[in-house]
Amino acid sequence: MELKTTELTKTFGHKTAVDHLNLSLSKGVYGLLGANGAGKTTLMRLLCNLQRPTSGKIFLNGENIGKLGQQYQNLLGYLPQRFGYYPNFTALDFLLYAAALKGLEERFARKKAKELLEAVGLSKESAHKIKTFSGGMKQRLGIAQAMLNDPNILILDEPTAGLDPKERVRFRNLISAFAEERIVILSTHIVSDIEFIAEEIIMMKAGQVIDLGSPQEITSAINGQVWECVIPTAKAEAYASAFPTVNLRNTGYGETILRIIADHTPVENAVRVQPNLEDLYLFYFKGDTEK
Amino acid sequence: MKKLIEFELKKIFARRLTQLALAAILILSALLGFSSYQNKYAFDGVSQEGTGQTAVAINKEIAAKYEGPLTDKKVKQMMSDFAPQTDLHGLNAAYLYHNAMQSAVFARFSDLDGNWNGLKVSDVFGNEEIKIGYIDGWLSTSQNMVKIFLALSFVVAIMVAPVFCGEYGGVDNIILTSKYGRTKCGAAKAAASLIATLIITLITVLSNLLLAFILYGKSGLDCSILFAPMPFTEGYIPFNITCKTLIIYQTLLAFTGTISVCGITLLASAVSKNQMTAASATAAIYLLPAMLPISETSPLFRYAGLLPVYHAQFVSLMSVEQMSSDLLYALWAIPAALIFAGIGIFSSRKVFSKHQVS
Repeated sequence: MELKTTELTKTFGHKTAVDHLNLSLSKGVYGLLGANGAGKTTLMRLLCNLQRPTSGKIFLNGENIGKLGQQYQNLLGYLPQRFGYYPNFTALDFLLYAAALKGLEERFARKKAKELLEAVGLSKESAHKIKTFSGGMKQRLGIAQAMLNDPNILILDEPTAGLDPKERVRFRNLISAFAEERIVILSTHIVSDIEFIAEEIIMMKAGQVIDLGSPQEITSAINGQVWECVIPTAKAEAYASAFPTVNLRNTGYGETILRIIADHTPVENAVRVQPNLEDLYLFYFKGDTEK
Repeated sequence: MKKLIEFELKKIFARRLTQLALAAILILSALLGFSSYQNKYAFDGVSQEGTGQTAVAINKEIAAKYEGPLTDKKVKQMMSDFAPQTDLHGLNAAYLYHNAMQSAVFARFSDLDGNWNGLKVSDVFGNEEIKIGYIDGWLSTSQNMVKIFLALSFVVAIMVAPVFCGEYGGVDNIILTSKYGRTKCGAAKAAASLIATLIITLITVLSNLLLAFILYGKSGLDCSILFAPMPFTEGYIPFNITCKTLIIYQTLLAFTGTISVCGITLLASAVSKNQMTAASATAAIYLLPAMLPISETSPLFRYAGLLPVYHAQFVSLMSVEQMSSDLLYALWAIPAALIFAGIGIFSSRKVFSKHQVS
C-alpha cells in the first residue's frame, strides 16, 4: 500500500498552508513534527479528503483518492485535532453512530465498540453521557472511533493532547499493536510520544517537508552540536538567551544544568551528548512559534 | 440506513431546544383551546345564560332545535325566536350576539333592527343545501389552529436548523471521513428531519383535535361552515363545505406547511455556519410572502398562496377556488410542499456532501 502526494498545494487566500508537497508513504508509523502553522493539520485534512487541494493530487496505490471516494473513506480512520460530539449521547452510542457511518454491521459494531472502549480505558463509562466526560476521556473516545473500522490508513491529529502520562503509555501501546501492515500518521506536540512510536519522522515547516527519516537518521543531522553544561544559576538566564536551549534544570546547589545546541563548545566544561528529537525540533524551529 | 436515521432522530429529539419548543407548542394548544372554551358565551333569549361549559351546552341545545337543512321556515322561526327584547340603541342587529345560532341567522337575515330582511335561503346561499348545527366550537378550534400551526412552523425551523450546520462545529471531521459520510449520512439527516417534522405535526394536530373532541364533541362536524356566527362570516371561506372537510383541509395544510418549512430549513442548515443563522433565514423566507404587496384578490395570489405561510393561515388559500364539489384549490399545496421538500432535501445533501472542513 502506498499513499503518495504529488505537488500537493493548499492555499487559503494569500497564505500557503501546504506548498508543493511530494510525499510517499507506505506501511509504518509516521510522526509529523512542525511548529504551529507548519501545515500539519491541513496536510492531514487533505489526506482525509476533508479539503480539496488547490493543486496537486493524492494517490492511493496509483489511484486518485478523489475518484476512489467511498472506497478510500472505507480505509480511513481519522482523529481530528478538535472534534465535536453529541453531549446527550453515551460513549457507546457515539461509537455505534460512528460505526453506522462507517457502514459496519450492527452486531460487529457493538462488539468492536466494546473492545475499543476497553482498550482506551472507557469500558466502565460506556453508558455515561459524553457531556460528563473530561477532555482526556473525550480524546480517548475520539481515538476509539478512529479505529472502529480497522482502518488501513489511520490519521491522528494531536492524539495525546489532554492525556495523562499513564493514558499516553496506553495509547502508544495501542498504536504500536495496531500499526502492523497499516499506514499510521500522527502529529503531536509531545515529541517523546513520536520518538517512542514513529518509525519515520516528517519534519514540516511553512507547508514543506524539510526532513524525513527514522529518528536516528534525522537526528544525526545535529550530531556533535548538542551540549550539556553545568553553570552557576545566576548566569543560567544569560546563557539560555545566548544559545538555543533545550532544557534548563536547577540542581538546587546554586548550579543549573543546561542542554544547549551550538556548533562549538559553549562553555569550557560542556559535554557533547547524543541528540534526540527534541533537540532537533529546537534546532529547526528555534525561530518559530513553539507548540 | 435505518440505523443512521434512528441516530439522526435521536439527535433531533435529544436537543433541549427542540424539547422546549415542542412543549411550548403543546402548552400553547392547551391554553388557546381552554381559553376559547372559557370565553364562550350564550344566552337563549329567555332564561339560560352562561359562559364556558354552560355556554356550549346552551348553544348545543339551541342548535338541536333547528338541526338539519336550512329552510326559509327555519329562518323565520329563528328570527322570531331570537327577536331582540330590548332597545338596541342604534346597534346593527347583525352584530348582536346572544348565541351562536342567533348570530348566524342575524348576520344574514336581519335588518338593522333585528327584523327579517326579506331574504330567502336561496337568495343568500343559492341552490346549495346548507346543513345547520352547532359549529361554533369547531370553528373556534380551527381559528386557534391557525395560530398554533404558524407557531409550529417556527418549531420545525428550530428543530431542523441544526441538522447539518450543527455538525460544522467539529463532528463534520468524523462524519465526512467515514464511508457513508458524504452519501447516506446526508440522506439519513434529510429523512430524519422529515420524519421528525411529520411526528411533531401529527402530535400537534392530534392534541388539538382530541382537545376539541373533549370540549365540543362531534356535533357540527357534518354541518356547513357557511351558516356560521358573525366572527366567521366576513372574509371567511366562501364555499359550502362541512366543518369536517374544513378540519381535514386544515390538517392537510398543516402537514404541507411544515413539510415545506422542513425543506427550506434543511437547505438553510446546509449552507449556514450555525443553527441561529439557519433558523433566522428560514423564518425570513417563511414570513416574506406575508409582507409582499399581493392581495388575496390578485391573480398572483394563486401562486403566492401556495407558499408555506399561507398553508398555516389556511383561510386565504382555501378561498381561492372550488375546483369541484369536494375539491378546493388548496389541494395544490400538496405538490407545492413536495417541491419545497424535494429542493431542500436534494440541495442540502449536495451541499453537505461537498462541504469543506475549515
